[in-house]
Amino acid sequence: MNEKSSSDILSSTKSICPVCLKRLSAVREKHGDDVYLVKKCFEHGEFKTIIWRGPLSFTSWKRPKKASSPQHTFTKSERGCPHDCGLCPSHGQHTCTALIEITTRCNLRCKVCFADAGSNTAADPSLDKIAFFYDRLMQASGSCNVQLSGGEPTVRDDLADIVRLGREKGFSFLQLNTNGIRLAEDEAYAKSLKDAGLSSVFLQFDGLSDEVHLALRGRALSEIKEMAIVNCALAGLGVVLVPTIVPGVNTQELAGIIDYAARFSPTVRGVHFQPVSYFGRYPEPPLDSARITLPEILMHIEEQTNGEIPAHLFSPPSCEHALCSFHANFLVQEDHSLKGITSWQQNCCAATEKKGKIPAAVVGREKSVSFTARQWSAPSACKCTPAEVPENEDELDFFLRRAKTHTFSISGMAFQDAWNLDIERLQGCCIHVVSPEGNLIPFCAYNLTSSQGRGLHRAGGGQ
Amino acid sequence: MSNFSFIAETDWRCACCNKNLQASKVNVEYMGSVFNVELMVCPDCGFVLIPEDLALGKMLQVEQLLEDK
Repeated sequence: MNEKSSSDILSSTKSICPVCLKRLSAVREKHGDDVYLVKKCFEHGEFKTIIWRGPLSFTSWKRPKKASSPQHTFTKSERGCPHDCGLCPSHGQHTCTALIEITTRCNLRCKVCFADAGSNTAADPSLDKIAFFYDRLMQASGSCNVQLSGGEPTVRDDLADIVRLGREKGFSFLQLNTNGIRLAEDEAYAKSLKDAGLSSVFLQFDGLSDEVHLALRGRALSEIKEMAIVNCALAGLGVVLVPTIVPGVNTQELAGIIDYAARFSPTVRGVHFQPVSYFGRYPEPPLDSARITLPEILMHIEEQTNGEIPAHLFSPPSCEHALCSFHANFLVQEDHSLKGITSWQQNCCAATEKKGKIPAAVVGREKSVSFTARQWSAPSACKCTPAEVPENEDELDFFLRRAKTHTFSISGMAFQDAWNLDIERLQGCCIHVVSPEGNLIPFCAYNLTSSQGRGLHRAGGGQ
Repeated sequence: MSNFSFIAETDWRCACCNKNLQASKVNVEYMGSVFNVELMVCPDCGFVLIPEDLALGKMLQVEQLLEDK
């Protein structure tokens, strides 16, 4: 690193060695339009990983927050991030969404699985244990959004009881992270989850073609996904389509996925893209060509929609670190086209923040909790048949009527692995997994593995 | 589309032009969206009166619906 000119280095942060997981200094280094995270372990050498690619400005993509300490921490800050997670007092953001893993079993064998599901034979946590998870979460964070995850949560026959328990414990937005197979098979099952208090389904949805599903999930799933959406519509559950984006597999389908999702509005509430990240055993670092960065997804969306969904509509997040995600909100019009309805660049919050008034992270967290719960749930005014158009309706009336049901979000979140882990991002993380001990671990730290597949926090890991 | 309006007799006059306001169709750009509505407008300078019930009614509802994170 000492041969590089200082003009290449945009900023500094901390990371870890992908081999030994020791904390390292790191820099964000610019080469043309591209930005890399560069770090050097004296024992294992230099690592340079793409984190931003393309003409969108890296340095303009920012949304600073003042760190907000968690309400209650379960661990001490001793060895340094990411080794103290629990959360520790050095963490800079409260929980917006907590993941509770209710099983490690799965009914698919995916090539890409951050949870390494299916290979772990641990018994499912009991309802009492899950009650403990909810209690610890409430103690640590207060009420927040909850995602029931796995493994594949629907392999449990008592999932409705788990949802009901979460509502009884005071969590008002519960979302199911699922591949949709059981929802597709059984309409009554979707209804039973809705009746138990489930708000939303986070549906793994990698593309429109079976080639994509076969490549990533090993099974043709197109018809299953659609039937899952139909059954959620009948049950009154909101659905978010969640594609894992892998270069060379489904990057060409982004606009197609958005268009498909909008046709199922208002049941489908939005699309949430997740660029592939690399957990598990990788003796050789994953190639940069096997990664896709957030600005590339925005550029692909703009290109594939012929400019109808331009990159400038999208904003960095108010809750998590700016480099972790993007989002924009839309109205689904009667012809199913999308009309952008907010532009953060133009609104008053942006103006305030640009004047140097940096908000506390918890302010963004509060906004994000309520926005996500509202946008990703089925609209309360949802009617499956078009509402009667009132007489003398003006454009404001029309907009109000339509927006009560047909708002739509497009968002994306980039997870971090051992090669691109940026500890500044990790400390601002708001997506936390409840560990078997009942601690809260930032999602990327929880799933982090060394190049040899050694976990940092997940059960069975080496530390 | 806009056959409902906020046209109403009003005592307000344009302060710059000292003219009575007249009903007119206008495009209101609000929260990044454009709406065509009828409002009371100064015939000379085009200054528009947004009545209180519109500001605290439909416009507030639009703002609440568009609240972002």
